[in-house]
Amino acid sequence: MVRFKNRYVLCEVVSEDPRCRQCIEDRTLGLAVRDAIARVHGDYGLACCSISFTVKYLNAYTGTVLLRCRKDSYRLLCSALPFVRSLETRAQRYPCFLNTLHVGGTIRTCQKFLIQYNRTQLLRLLQNCTNEEERQCVQKSLLNCSLTEEQSQSGDEEEDDGTE
Amino acid sequence: RGPAGREMAAAAFERCVLRRAAEHHYLRVRLELPDGGARPNAAQFKQLVVTALRELHGEVGAALPVDVLTYEEKTLSAILRVISSGLVKLWSALTLLGFYQNRRCAFRVLQTSPFLLALSGNSRELVL
Repeated sequence: MVRFKNRYVLCEVVSEDPRCRQCIEDRTLGLAVRDAIARVHGDYGLACCSISFTVKYLNAYTGTVLLRCRKDSYRLLCSALPFVRSLETRAQRYPCFLNTLHVGGTIRTCQKFLIQYNRTQLLRLLQNCTNEEERQCVQKSLLNCSLTEEQSQSGDEEEDDGTE
Repeated sequence: RGPAGREMAAAAFERCVLRRAAEHHYLRVRLELPDGGARPNAAQFKQLVVTALRELHGEVGAALPVDVLTYEEKTLSAILRVISSGLVKLWSALTLLGFYQNRRCAFRVLQTSPFLLALSGNSRELVL
């Protein structure tokens, strides 16, 4: 059995500027990553990684990004991710960096990891809450998430849990 | 005891085969500039090699440890040394380099060997 194997790289866009969240789009992010690969690995690296390269999933609120590439060239992609230093849209440049969270063979494993990661992140947020309002908000959303048929989402809470 | 010892030592021998043990590979290359013009000196030649690596393999390729051991400006031929793991990158970059200062150019790789001594003789230029 011969099939094309892919690798899915789960990353997080971290930026100090809060306006950066609004300009995270799949096209701009894809261009920024390809530009970084071209700088670091040249024409050969860019062509290798572009064979099956797409931005599969993007969450602007949490800054979660899922990239796909071929299994043969995922090391080139992963080594070029630290060189993405800014995102550009419409003549605006925001400095940021990409944190690699997980590399998986399928979207399902990446989703499982993301759910686990978001759970731990919510707990950590609760511990780092500074005032009582934030604490109440986070606690309410933590108690609200459950795998039910009707989607009861806390819309004002920024952190989105991966359970859907 | 002397002759007996030598006999014993002669009977037992060990054969070691080392594959890909050489650290460096050496290439004898010649740069062809068909359109004539100013010839590059040694530093410009090295800059050209690094530029070729940077175009094809990016910053990682440009950081490959390449040394120009000898360079002759008259014939534009040189002996390059590269770490063995980088031979494919270097050779492919030299093959795909097309322009030097907006003039057409081409690299011809004449000889390559993991041993520098092997570059001294070339059986292609043997006159029988």
